[in-house]
Amino acid sequence: MFGRKGKGGKGNYPYAVARVKAKKAQLMGEDTYSKMLMMSLPEISRFIGESGYQKEIAALAGRYDGVDLIEHATYSNMANYFRGVLDVTTGELHEMLAAYLEKWDIWNFKVILRGKSFGMDADSIKEDLVPAGKLDQQALERLLSMESEEEIIAAYGRVANVIFPTELISAYEESRNLSELEDFLEKDHYDSLLRSIDPSSRPTRLYQDYIRKEIDITNVETILKLKAEGIRGEEVMKYIIPGGKQIDKKLATQLANAESLSAAVNDLAPLDFYDDIKNALDETNSLRSIVAGMKKYHIRQAKTFSHLYPLSVIPIIDFMIHKENEVNNIRIIARGLNSGLDADVIKELLVI
Amino acid sequence: MELGLIAIGAGLAVGITGLASGWAEKDVGAAAVGAMTEDPSLFGKGMILMVLPETIVIFGLVVAILLIFVTGASV
Repeated sequence: MFGRKGKGGKGNYPYAVARVKAKKAQLMGEDTYSKMLMMSLPEISRFIGESGYQKEIAALAGRYDGVDLIEHATYSNMANYFRGVLDVTTGELHEMLAAYLEKWDIWNFKVILRGKSFGMDADSIKEDLVPAGKLDQQALERLLSMESEEEIIAAYGRVANVIFPTELISAYEESRNLSELEDFLEKDHYDSLLRSIDPSSRPTRLYQDYIRKEIDITNVETILKLKAEGIRGEEVMKYIIPGGKQIDKKLATQLANAESLSAAVNDLAPLDFYDDIKNALDETNSLRSIVAGMKKYHIRQAKTFSHLYPLSVIPIIDFMIHKENEVNNIRIIARGLNSGLDADVIKELLVI
Repeated sequence: MELGLIAIGAGLAVGITGLASGWAEKDVGAAAVGAMTEDPSLFGKGMILMVLPETIVIFGLVVAILLIFVTGASV
């Protein structure tokens, strides 16, 4: 009667959505990015320090400066926001968000493993962690304190409920090549994410569709990037994540086998996001613009869905996508200005 | 007998509308507290939205009063 479902109930949608909507209202708008493009790096640090990033800028200003300060402060801020949202949600909603944020656990696991394999010290690795997922700072530090990479893999499997195939582990032990392990984790993440969604209501079905479209976009991005490197056919198919909405195995094979980047893009004509890619193609004909076009489409989708079902998981995911996008945009501006790129080039890279 | 039925009707009018108000306020209240946690200046708006579902139980109370004093007096 009171909306309880399963062990933790359906979740506290009204409370969590209201908090997230208030947080979303504080995100930066298009004008702010244009303003930031006119600033120097210290000015950007001060500017974001006066907006939503004050706590992180104040905490990190003694240790970093310039672009490093902006990068660490933005990631740390995003991690605090996401963990904050995760902490205030309950039940089915919490489970869905935890599954969505698992990508940051994978990110941290990769950072730890890569850092260890390159012989970096624990403090340097710790600086690059983004504890925005299920695993908090303490859990990540426990992983970091382990000596061997095998121990880290086994411990991550336990805390994140991931069962690594034994042949994958033995292949890694032989080759020390992380790519197959990373590829497995990415596929496993989307698999568990799709399994965490109960498609019994219209909003959760929309969310499931949204994730499946994200898989499509990730797959297209992978195909186009590998194609640009001259890799085709079966080699590409190894990296394709199953479960996409519009791109099935047949279309993925067709795209993987296409002669050139432009031929592959023509194969995408029946897809929803083709118009966004087409515009990007007309403008510059570059992979970077195609990827930015797809991201813009994805963000637009989230925005549309969030208005349709205000009391569902979608507005929260919409906020997370916009927050991550804001952080990426600030980092693009900071990195671009630091590298001496022209403001117009940086603007083209932004996803607004 | 008739007076007893009127009393039951009046009780149901207040009781059911009270439950309905609570049901509606559950979500409105949670959302208002959530919004206020992020932005305390939303207290006024949150308070107004919070008490709006109270009208449901007030209607129930009016119906109960009419039942007892108007219909009940004529029995």
